Amino acid sequence: MIEVEHLSKVYGSTTAIADITFAVESGEILGFLGPNGAGKTTTMRILTGYLPATSGTAKVAGYDINTDSMAVRQRIGYLPETPPLYPEMTIEGFLHFVAQIKGISAGDRARQVETAMAKTNLLDRRHTLIRKLSKGYRQRVGIAQAIVHDPPVIILDEPTVGLDPRQIIEVRNLIKNLAGDHTVILSTHILPEVSMTCNRVAIINKGRVVATNTPSELMAQMAGGVGYELEIEGDLHQIQQALHPLPSVKTVEAIAAELPPGFCQVRIASEAGSPLVGKDLAGAIVAAGLGLHEMRRIQVTLEKVFLELTTEEDQAQIPESSPDSSSSPDPTPTASIPAATTEPLAPEEDA
Amino acid sequence: MRIVLANIVAIYRRELQSYFASPLAYLVAGIFWLLAGFFFTYLLEVTLVRTAFADSQNYQVPIDSATQLLQGFLGILSSIALFILPILSMGLYAEERKRGTLELLATSPITNWAVAVGKLLAVLTFFATMLLPLLVYEAIAYSSTNPPLSFSVILLGHLGLILLAAAILSLGMFISSLTDSTILAALFTFALILFLWVIDGVGQQIGGPFGDALAHLSLLKHYGNLAQGILDTSSLVLFASYIVLGIFLTAQSVDAFRFQRS
Repeated sequence: MIEVEHLSKVYGSTTAIADITFAVESGEILGFLGPNGAGKTTTMRILTGYLPATSGTAKVAGYDINTDSMAVRQRIGYLPETPPLYPEMTIEGFLHFVAQIKGISAGDRARQVETAMAKTNLLDRRHTLIRKLSKGYRQRVGIAQAIVHDPPVIILDEPTVGLDPRQIIEVRNLIKNLAGDHTVILSTHILPEVSMTCNRVAIINKGRVVATNTPSELMAQMAGGVGYELEIEGDLHQIQQALHPLPSVKTVEAIAAELPPGFCQVRIASEAGSPLVGKDLAGAIVAAGLGLHEMRRIQVTLEKVFLELTTEEDQAQIPESSPDSSSSPDPTPTASIPAATTEPLAPEEDA
Repeated sequence: MRIVLANIVAIYRRELQSYFASPLAYLVAGIFWLLAGFFFTYLLEVTLVRTAFADSQNYQVPIDSATQLLQGFLGILSSIALFILPILSMGLYAEERKRGTLELLATSPITNWAVAVGKLLAVLTFFATMLLPLLVYEAIAYSSTNPPLSFSVILLGHLGLILLAAAILSLGMFISSLTDSTILAALFTFALILFLWVIDGVGQQIGGPFGDALAHLSLLKHYGNLAQGILDTSSLVLFASYIVLGIFLTAQSVDAFRFQRS
């Protein structure tokens, strides 16, 4: 649906993006992940025809962005960082206007506007002036104007920035519902957002794509497997003796925790390439006569992957996060962070 | 072609709606009516005094005071418009740039010039609406012209006023597309219009073919012709050129803006 080939953009002497190549399949949600100023917005603006590329090409729904700009624009819905809204218009009036300039015929317009408002949950506020809307509603109107002409491709630049946690969840669900019928590209610097909404991630740093994969594979690829945390009745020495015979166990470390006397909490990391099997671990503990009180599977998070990919080598030690945040426990193998966590990696917005 | 027309209509309607929803537009209209009304009564007094004087001196040629009043009023209206029009045109693009809605227009399947034409028609419609209440004064004066003033003269005068406004607004729209500050847009438009207003005098000072060429660019001179009821094709061509130039430059500047953004 979207094919980007060797796209570059140079402003004077600064290179905003350099030789970006990626493709998005029909019905997919691709997350653009990168620190501020990495080139996410620039790439999106080139795809939408707002900015001309310095070199390289891209095709959207089979049309070249340089030569068939009008055909491309008709097939893209775009939400810029700040939703483009006319404050003096009502929601419905504004969506009618957008449908009109996107080339929706007069007969279909009312129905399309209705559908867009229904999808974004705006029907009860349709006659409200945009000037009077809260930030969350404005963002929804922004998304509604991007989908009102039912485009095959939807591009959303930081769709959840500045929203409260409940609104963020709403917007994410909305985006997930768009996939399938539409191909979606969204940019974010909020890591959990990617693992929650996107099928695939493209990590951008300094104008280059440094990795593209599914969120779970990206994590697996970077982490070299998973680990376990156990709470055991017994001392560390006994536990190590019991577990080291297992071939896939690499290290067994004690974790400082407040525990009743005689208890010990350990973290087990696996050898690269040989996954740990929970059953074997439990069996070994029980066979050694130790009491197994708790057992959790832990996984490397996207944060860690992201930092590894985008941090300069000389700074590599500095952002090493504390054990709690870098390996948060989670029972499911794919999502690694609870849905409510929305800590942005960097608090400032893109310039 | 039909799509382009539909796009122009869409832009036109949205723009016109925003004028009618804007407190500033009403303020401008109010000031315009106030000034126009003030100058109308002032002109009326001057004309009456002059007529009374002529009567007392028993001039042979009767002076048609109503005709003088009407033509004087059209002249005054154009001077008031000089101050009012830059305020109407200042937000056309500057506001869109400031709000980020230009990004919506620039990523929609609609050409820059269609946007410019729609906007110009909208602001011109608003200005024409501002003129409507004044027609009442004029109708009263017109009904008492003796000998009756040809209706085509009055029509031509108003056509001239609309063309003058379109030319000014078109250039103002271009200036508005260069900045995201409405104040700057208004000031620069005012400066440009003032320059085009007095270029007549400048041209006469310089003299020679260059001076003649400058004088020909004068808005005031050509408007004066039309307001007197003289249909001069060169005046129509000049106003049309200003209008087209404004639209063309606007479309170009919005396109060039793509390359400057960072």
